[in-house]
Amino acid sequence: MPTCGARRMIRLDHQTIDGARIAIITLDRHEKRNALTPDMLENIKLCADHVHEEQPHPRALVLAGAGDVFCAGFDLSLCRDDDLMMSALLTRLAETIRTLRRLPIPVVASAHGGAIAGGCALLCGADIVITNATAKLGYPVVRLGVSPAVTSPLLRAAVGQARTRERLLDPQLIDGAEALRISLAHECLDRADDVFPRAVAVAASLAAKPRHAIAVTKRWLNQLDGSYEDETLDRALNASLALAGSEEERERLAALWTN
Amino acid sequence: MSDLALLTIENAIATVTLNRPDARNALSPELLEALLARFDELAQRADANVCIIRGAGKAFCAGMDLKRILDDATAIANLLKSIAELTLKVRTLPIPVIAQVHGAAIGGGCGLTCVCDFAITHAEAKIGYPEVDLGVCPAVVAPWLILRVGAGQARRILLQGGTLSGARAYELGLVTQLTPADELENTVMSLAERLAKAGPGAISATKTWLNQLEGGETLAQQVRQGAIISAEVASSTEAQERLRAAFSR
Repeated sequence: MPTCGARRMIRLDHQTIDGARIAIITLDRHEKRNALTPDMLENIKLCADHVHEEQPHPRALVLAGAGDVFCAGFDLSLCRDDDLMMSALLTRLAETIRTLRRLPIPVVASAHGGAIAGGCALLCGADIVITNATAKLGYPVVRLGVSPAVTSPLLRAAVGQARTRERLLDPQLIDGAEALRISLAHECLDRADDVFPRAVAVAASLAAKPRHAIAVTKRWLNQLDGSYEDETLDRALNASLALAGSEEERERLAALWTN
Repeated sequence: MSDLALLTIENAIATVTLNRPDARNALSPELLEALLARFDELAQRADANVCIIRGAGKAFCAGMDLKRILDDATAIANLLKSIAELTLKVRTLPIPVIAQVHGAAIGGGCGLTCVCDFAITHAEAKIGYPEVDLGVCPAVVAPWLILRVGAGQARRILLQGGTLSGARAYELGLVTQLTPADELENTVMSLAERLAKAGPGAISATKTWLNQLEGGETLAQQVRQGAIISAEVASSTEAQERLRAAFSR
């Protein structure tokens, strides 16, 4: 097993469906609604790197969350006594999204229940996003004095300029049906419990397709939509990092602990 | 000139017809050559204010015709280059272009649909990009599809392959209008008449400006680069095996 398997909170599993092998990375911290720590983000990246290298090659990847929601965002309790934590989280998030997007196999996000803030940003690393009608998605972080700019280039590729503006500036969450309407999600199911099996089925159907054609098509789409533009992606990260540890952020996060 | 592609102009409305109905208007080297010539001819004409592209027979266009040239990497590269040039010619034509999509628009045919300023179809039409299922990469048409539906939806459509119904294609924005099959011709004609009556200078300037906004030369480079990528993948062993199996069915 890879290093990532030895750690808790991120799980790497495999399934073979009709001869096609798929990998499944699961955020496994359901008691905290899969709230992300820097280690978890690093482990997702390590698992994705491993999936890229292992033999036999998995031909598609599912990114899923254990418990009731896909991911509630960063574990903000870590920021309480650590001024550098927010920067660490943002930097790891950016790396992880880039790694997922650049895998030569399709990535399907199984976003049931909720994908909030950093959890919603993770969806931008996926090629196909599946959610359910009552799931909550979005970027409420401006309330906390945090900027979601880090996610902006790939969110813009997914939903367009105007909707990116709306989603990143308005802290209000949207439901799965609205996420489908604006193309943040590609499929929206009625029941949260159906999301993961559907994600596995979609991944299996992609895994059965010709490998080279899929890899070249994904690489070309990445080229066309800016997924390889490190300079732009770095600038987006830096825009978020510039606010990390600001007075506004510290005050607003501190208010979380006192309320 | 070959009658594989026809051009007529009546009341300022040009109609270009893909005229290879026995092959569902599949884009062979000869058909592409004829289409390129027709669009060159049209670009020189001052008496057309709008253009309709349609297909003779049962389907608009079944995609690229690789059957006869499967063993010839150079011919495949040339075919894809021609498709790229055709899309660029349609896009840069200084008059609006409407795709009248009946029956099916597959692969390169769907690319032709996406590059038109307007595309009208019916709910039961079969539309899409099954390229990856055949081991082929739809790289030429990807930039046009992204402009139509956005990069996020394009990703799903191109990676999942298969085809969509006309109704679903309309929901995703891949076509711009849906009409009952038996009203398709009339619906297209009334749009063409509307466009033909508008100020030709204003329409042309607006289309040219929109082309510049969406990338102009950069986009053209991407489309041409896409032809090289598609040709490489179509000549791969994986694609050759899949295509041979599909042709022998």
